Amino acid sequence: MNILGLSAHYHDSAAALLVDGQPVCAVQEERLSRRKNDAAFPLGAIEWCLDSAGLQPGDLDAVVFYERPMLKFERILTTALRAWPQGRSAYAHAVRNALGEKVWVRGLIQAHLGVPRRKILFTEHHQSHAAAAFLTAPTDAAAILTADGVGEWATLTVGRGRRPPGGATSLELLREVRWPHSLGMLYSTFTAFLGFPVNEGEYKVMGLASYGTPRFADAVRQVVRRTSDGAFALDLGFFEFHTTARRSYSRRFLDVFGPPRAAWDPIDLETEDGRRYADVAASVQLVLEEVLVDLAAALRRETGLADLCLGGGVALNGVANARILCESGFERVFVPPAPGDAGCALGAALYADRIHFAQPDRPFPDHPFWGPGIEAGELARIAAEDGLAVEALDEAAMLERTAQDLAAGRIVGWMQGAGEFGPRALGHRSILAAPHSAETRDRLNRDIKYREEFRPFAPVVPAELAHEYFELPPGGLRLARFMSGVFRVKPQWRAALAAVTHVDGTARLQALERGMAPRLHDLLMAYGRLSGAPVLLNTSFNLAGEPIVSRAVEGYSTFRRCGIDVLVADGVRTVKRTRATIEMEPEEAEA
Amino acid sequence: MRSPLSAIHWLAWRDPRRRAATLLRFAEVEADGGRDLVRAAEVTRDPLLRRLFLKHALDEQRHADLFRGRGVALIRGLPDGGDGGPQARWLTPGERGLDDLRVEDEGDAALLAFLHLSEKQAARDFAGYAAVLGADEATRAVFEKVLHDETFHMTYTHRQLRRVAPERAATRIWTARLRRFWKAYLRLASGLAGLAGTVILTLQFFLILPPFALLARRAARKETPGWTPVAPARNGSLEREY
Repeated sequence: MNILGLSAHYHDSAAALLVDGQPVCAVQEERLSRRKNDAAFPLGAIEWCLDSAGLQPGDLDAVVFYERPMLKFERILTTALRAWPQGRSAYAHAVRNALGEKVWVRGLIQAHLGVPRRKILFTEHHQSHAAAAFLTAPTDAAAILTADGVGEWATLTVGRGRRPPGGATSLELLREVRWPHSLGMLYSTFTAFLGFPVNEGEYKVMGLASYGTPRFADAVRQVVRRTSDGAFALDLGFFEFHTTARRSYSRRFLDVFGPPRAAWDPIDLETEDGRRYADVAASVQLVLEEVLVDLAAALRRETGLADLCLGGGVALNGVANARILCESGFERVFVPPAPGDAGCALGAALYADRIHFAQPDRPFPDHPFWGPGIEAGELARIAAEDGLAVEALDEAAMLERTAQDLAAGRIVGWMQGAGEFGPRALGHRSILAAPHSAETRDRLNRDIKYREEFRPFAPVVPAELAHEYFELPPGGLRLARFMSGVFRVKPQWRAALAAVTHVDGTARLQALERGMAPRLHDLLMAYGRLSGAPVLLNTSFNLAGEPIVSRAVEGYSTFRRCGIDVLVADGVRTVKRTRATIEMEPEEAEA
Repeated sequence: MRSPLSAIHWLAWRDPRRRAATLLRFAEVEADGGRDLVRAAEVTRDPLLRRLFLKHALDEQRHADLFRGRGVALIRGLPDGGDGGPQARWLTPGERGLDDLRVEDEGDAALLAFLHLSEKQAARDFAGYAAVLGADEATRAVFEKVLHDETFHMTYTHRQLRRVAPERAATRIWTARLRRFWKAYLRLASGLAGLAGTVILTLQFFLILPPFALLARRAARKETPGWTPVAPARNGSLEREY
C-alpha cells in the first residue's frame, strides 16, 4: 500500500511517502525550492518522493492531507464574525487568502496528481501531530500531548495511543483546548512583541530567556490564566490576533510589558530596554513551562502510562520538554525530529495507514534521515572547476583529516547521506566546530550564521559518553536523541565547552547513538582522541534566511559565501583559499 | 540635465522617516536578490557564470548591510526613534529585486538578460536618488558605493550574455524587457484586483454579515474556556474535509 502524506499552505509544507507501512522518503518543500519556510503546495517534494520510490501518481492508494481545510475555513470565518465590526481587515484578508487556493485542497490534489477523488483523505491537524509523535516513537503505549498555534479549532490536545503486539493500533484524542486560547499563539505574540519573526523566531525568545529574570511572570499569568478544569484560557483583552491580521498584541499588553522592540534594533543587554526584553522572554518561557508541566502531570495521573509523546510546534521548546521530563512523572518523553507542521505530512500518512486502513503496526526506523541524498562527485567537479583543492578520501582518512581540521580550529561543513526531515541538523547537514572556545561561537555568529550573540549553539556527543559531560535525568538520553531537550553542562566541563554552554550553564545537546549516524559518531570519537573530549559544536548547515542545504552544490555555494573553512561531502573534501570571497582570474574580474 | 523623475525622487526621499523605511526595504530587496543569485549559481552548469553569480550575490548581501545600517542610523536619529513609520511601498520608486523570478525555470541567457535590465534600472534609480540627497551625505555615500557595484553588474551581465548567446543577445534583452513590462502589468492588475476585492469584501462585511455576526457572538458567549471533549466520531472518518 502506497500512501502519500501532505502538509501545505501555512508554513513549512512537506510531503512524505509510506510504502507498505514503512517510510521511504520525506522532505520539506523549502529544501528543494530553496525558499525558507516555503508554504506553497509541495509539488517539488511530491515529485521527489515519487521519483525516489519509482512510483507514478496512479500507483498511490491514498493521498492524505494533514488537516481539514473546510473546518479551518469555518474557524477563520467565525473568528472574523465574532470580532465584528473590528474584524473587517481580518475578514477581507482571510477570505481572499482562503478562497484563492487553501480551501480547494481536494481539487488541487486531483489537478496536480490526477488521483481519483475517493483516494484523497483528510486527517485533523492535531491528529496528524499526534500520529507523527506516537506512531514514530518506539513505545507500545503512551499518553499524547500536542500543542501549537492552531489547527482547525484545536490548539492543544491530549490523548493516548496503543500498539499492542499483534493487535490493532489505536490513537485517540480525548480533550482539546480550542481557539483562540492557544499556548502557541501566546508564545508567538511575545515573539512578535520582541521583534522576531513569528513561526521562526521562537527559538530566539527561548535563547534570550536565559539572560533575563522572570519579573513579569505574574503579569504573564494574568494573560494566560488557569481554568478550574485544569486547562488554561487567554485573557483576550491582551491580544488582537483574533481581530486583525496586522498585530497580535493589544494596547493593554503594551501597558503591562512596555513598548515593543523594533525588528531592526539589536538587543543590547547592557541597556534597560535590552534587559526588559530578556526579562519578558524569561517570564513567558517560565509560564509556558508551568502550564505544560501541569498539563503533562495531570495526563500522567489520568492515564497511568509511563511514556509521553509530544507533538506540535510547542514541542520544539527544549527547555519546556526537559522540565516536563523531570517534573511531570513520565519516565520517557518522545519528541519526533519534525514535531511541527512539516512532520504532519508523515503523521497524516501514518494515521491513514495504521488507523484508517488498519494496517499492521511496524516499528518505525528511529532516525530523521528521509531527505535527498548527495552526489559527492558533484562537489568534486564544481570545486575543481573553481580551482579549489579537492581530495577524494577513504573513510578512515576522511575521518582523520576532518578531526584534525576541527582540532586545529577550522570550521567544517559536513554533508553525509540523506538529509534530515525536520528543522534540526542532526548530523547529515551540519556545520561542525570545536566546542571549547567562546571565540569559536562568536566567529560562527559573526562570519557564518550572521545571527544574534545571545543565541546558543548545540553540542553533539556520543550517547554512551553523554553522562560524562552533561547532567542528564533518567530519560534524558532519549529526549536528546533529536536535540529536543535542554540540559545542564556539568560544571567542570563548562569552561572547556564554552562555545556550546549557554549563559545559564545549559546546552541543547544531541546524544548520538552510533547506529543513527555512524560516520558522525566515528568522527566524534576521532576528535575525542585528539582533543580529549568527543564533543563537537553542531549547527544547521545554512545561512541566515536560507533553508538547510540539501544537495552538494548548495553546500558548496554556502561554503563559498561564509567563513566555513572546509567542506566534506561523503568522502570528498575541499578547502577554501581565503574566507568568504569568490576568487576570480584577472580576465574574469574584468568580465 | 535633471531627470524628469527628480521631483518625485526628491519628494520620496525628503522625509527622514520614509527615507529610513525605504532603505530598510531596499536592504530586504537586496538580500532577496542575493538569494536568487545564489540559486542561479547553484543551477548553472557554466563555471564562470557560477563564480560571477556568487560574487554578485556577495555584493548584494553587502548592499543589504549598507542599506540596513544607514536605515537604522537614520531611525536612531529621529526625535522619537520609532519603527520606521508607514512604508507605502507601492509609492516608493526603487529596485524590485529579481521580481520573484523562479531561477530554476530560466536558462543562463534569459537570466543574464533579465539581470542586465534589472541592474541597469537599479543603477539609473540609485543615481537619481543620490542626486536628490544633497543634504544627507551619508545616505548619498551609500548609494554611490552601491552604484559602483551596479555598474560592474550591468557590464558583466551584458558581456556574459554576448558570450553565452552571441547571435541572440539583442533578442534576449528585448524579450526580457517585454517580460518586465508584462510583470509590471500583472503587478498593477493584481494590485487593482486586490483593492477591488477588499472593497467588495468590506461592503459584504458591513452589509450582509451583521446578522451572522450576531449569531456567532451569541454562540461564543455560550462557550466556556477550558477543556472540550473530543467526540469519538472525530477519531473516525478521513473522507470529510470539514
